[in-house]
Amino acid sequence: MTREEILNELKSVFAPYTTNKEMLANINDQTDLITDLKINSANLVDIIIDAEAKYNIEIDYDSADKMINVGSCIDVISEKLNQK
Amino acid sequence: MPGIGNDIVALSAIDVERTNQYRFFSKIIVGQEQQLYNDTLASALAFEHFVWLAWSMKESAYKCMQRYQHNLVFSPSNVLIGEVQLPANNAKPPMEGIGFDNLLVCKSQLNFRGQHLFSRSIITAQYIVSVVNDTNDFSNTCWRVKKIGSNDTEDQSLAVRDMLLHKLHELYPADEFKIEKSIFGFPVLLKNGAEADFPVTFAHHDHYAGYAFIPDI
Repeated sequence: MTREEILNELKSVFAPYTTNKEMLANINDQTDLITDLKINSANLVDIIIDAEAKYNIEIDYDSADKMINVGSCIDVISEKLNQK
Repeated sequence: MPGIGNDIVALSAIDVERTNQYRFFSKIIVGQEQQLYNDTLASALAFEHFVWLAWSMKESAYKCMQRYQHNLVFSPSNVLIGEVQLPANNAKPPMEGIGFDNLLVCKSQLNFRGQHLFSRSIITAQYIVSVVNDTNDFSNTCWRVKKIGSNDTEDQSLAVRDMLLHKLHELYPADEFKIEKSIFGFPVLLKNGAEADFPVTFAHHDHYAGYAFIPDI
């Protein structure tokens, strides 16, 4: 999968946890999940679990720690997909 | 400057079924913390409440430590819960105070990469709130939790800032306060135009918001 494809799919992963729909429609690598998308930190685990289910991957502690913005989410998902 | 952090979890907003799934809770608590729950807490505390209690303590610890390590990334597995003492009394706890009634709070010790941290948490049917510091002295900690009408993030953020400024005006009627955000994301309190020598911490989740700080008076 390309980074652009993952980015577009991530919009549906983030959607249940953000009310900032305008920002969601225009996310890029630098978009921060908490400060830009206003996702409550309590939902970060939900996002990791949803991403694991969507891509049939397992995201370990160290990788989960990196998932603070859209670019790092794509990096982690790409890495895990390439390991399959 | 002392370190302090807080966090709130609104229990109406959590997914109980998901919380109880290994795939979920194992992202928040590690094996020894599951063992701690099984050995000492299972008879008195629902597992999903333990998971979110752990989350609130760990996020509070992260906020506390971020004051010293600005680029710190929140990682629940890096904060280990070493001990949890549940409240001795089941009476309804207050929603604000200076210090905590030790009979009504959950007391815990945490370890963040060798640094000892200390927690006071209140567990109700509606929310779990934690305050963490690095001194274990909570006697002057000024804290509050409030139910607010809107669950919109921006509204919550404004509400908690208003609530804090109101309290500061009570405590320091002669001073002017302003709250800004550091480039690292934590709130910075300005007192008469200069950074105050005590930190403030905010949290909000769903319909609950709260603050904590240690006033210098």
